[in-house]
Amino acid sequence: MQIDWWTFGLQTINVLVLIWLLQRFLFRPVKAIIDARRDASEKLLADAEAARNAAQEAVAAIEARRKDFSKEGEAILAAAQATALTERANMLEQARQEAARIETEAHKILARERETQRHELEAQAGELAVVMARRLLDLLPADTVTAALLEALAQDLAALPAEARRELAAAERPVVVTTATALSADAQTAWQERLTQLLGKDARFTFGEDPGLIAGATLQGPHTLLRRNWRADLDRLGRSLTMPVPPSHE
Amino acid sequence: MMDSPLSTHLAFTLGPVPISTTVLTTWGIMAALAAAAWAVTRRLTMRPGTAQACLELVVETIQGQIHDTMHTASTLFLPLIGTLFLFILAANWSSMVPGIEPPTAKIETDAALALIVFLSVVGFGIQARGLGGYLRSFAYPNLFLVPMNLLEQFTRTFALVVRLFGNVMSGVFIIAILLSLVGLLVPVPLMALELLTGAVQAYIFAVLAMVFISGAIEEKPSDAAQQQEDTAS
Repeated sequence: MQIDWWTFGLQTINVLVLIWLLQRFLFRPVKAIIDARRDASEKLLADAEAARNAAQEAVAAIEARRKDFSKEGEAILAAAQATALTERANMLEQARQEAARIETEAHKILARERETQRHELEAQAGELAVVMARRLLDLLPADTVTAALLEALAQDLAALPAEARRELAAAERPVVVTTATALSADAQTAWQERLTQLLGKDARFTFGEDPGLIAGATLQGPHTLLRRNWRADLDRLGRSLTMPVPPSHE
Repeated sequence: MMDSPLSTHLAFTLGPVPISTTVLTTWGIMAALAAAAWAVTRRLTMRPGTAQACLELVVETIQGQIHDTMHTASTLFLPLIGTLFLFILAANWSSMVPGIEPPTAKIETDAALALIVFLSVVGFGIQARGLGGYLRSFAYPNLFLVPMNLLEQFTRTFALVVRLFGNVMSGVFIIAILLSLVGLLVPVPLMALELLTGAVQAYIFAVLAMVFISGAIEEKPSDAAQQQEDTAS
């Protein structure tokens, strides 16, 4: 057995050189790229983990915000309901007030209409009374009625204070005597004498006719008006009927 | 006519240095391995192609074997173990190239590989445990075993040489005999078997190297006792 020591030595050197060569061109670069890929994958995993954490935080934030929105929505809804209730109460109150106002107005209108109807009825009653009075008057002699009422008017004139009578007698314009039916010339003369006796000879008279008086006469001076006719009496009666009835004292 | 497997053939001389065919073949294998490594690794990308993926698979497998066998970080031992495995594998499989005699079929190459392993065991042992610690490991489990442990260092290294040399040389020798006797196609099954044998031998050599180095760097109970004594003193 013979060993070639040159070959042994060269092979030893060759293997050492090959170790260096493979370390330089194989193991180091391959290990570097493997480590780089591992680092990249770890970084990728870390980034993914961070992204997942960020996403979870974002989801939590959105959830919290959604809860806030829900609370805010509930608050808005509650406020809207409260506002609606208040508005409804206001509207009901306004409607109630409006209804009360309309009712009051209706009552007023009704009262006015009743008053109007009452006045109309009273007017109609007055007219009816006039018609009835006329018809009753037609049953009586007109001259007699007029004479009686003129006599009553003369008595009223006589009952006036002397001052008033003197004023009537001294008036610039003549005293107007109006009767419901025209007086005949004789009747005018007779009544002018009767009235002259009461006022004095300076008094002047003019006679007129007004069928509206129904029956009777009026005497009118500058400041004096005496009425003895049915129209005046009916008016007085009408006013007395419309006056409120005083409470009875029993 | 078969030559002796222990004889070397001179290819040429480089000054006073005779260059044998074994060395020449080794240079070719070195050049092929280095060129292939350079060709694949010069454009490494994060998205590997087929060649890069295969290369990464080989490197990661070797790393995994180192880690599983030595139970330590593989970074320090990867160049040595990886080179031993790849070189022996390439050298064994070089016999498939017609006219090429594998360098591992020559005892000088196997002896060189074993010498490197032996020196690595010593170097890594001293690096890991210190000179005293490494020398104390020869007295484990007791002082009477120092001669046996010292002898073991050489015998197991010699066993490395003989195992690799015997397997590869015998395979080459048998194929050569068959080729000379029965023709071209008959040795093909044996050549396929030689591929398997070459891979297994490369694996065994690398694993044994890892075991020897691991045994040298691992902490022995005597180290712990010595550390306790040092701490107490």
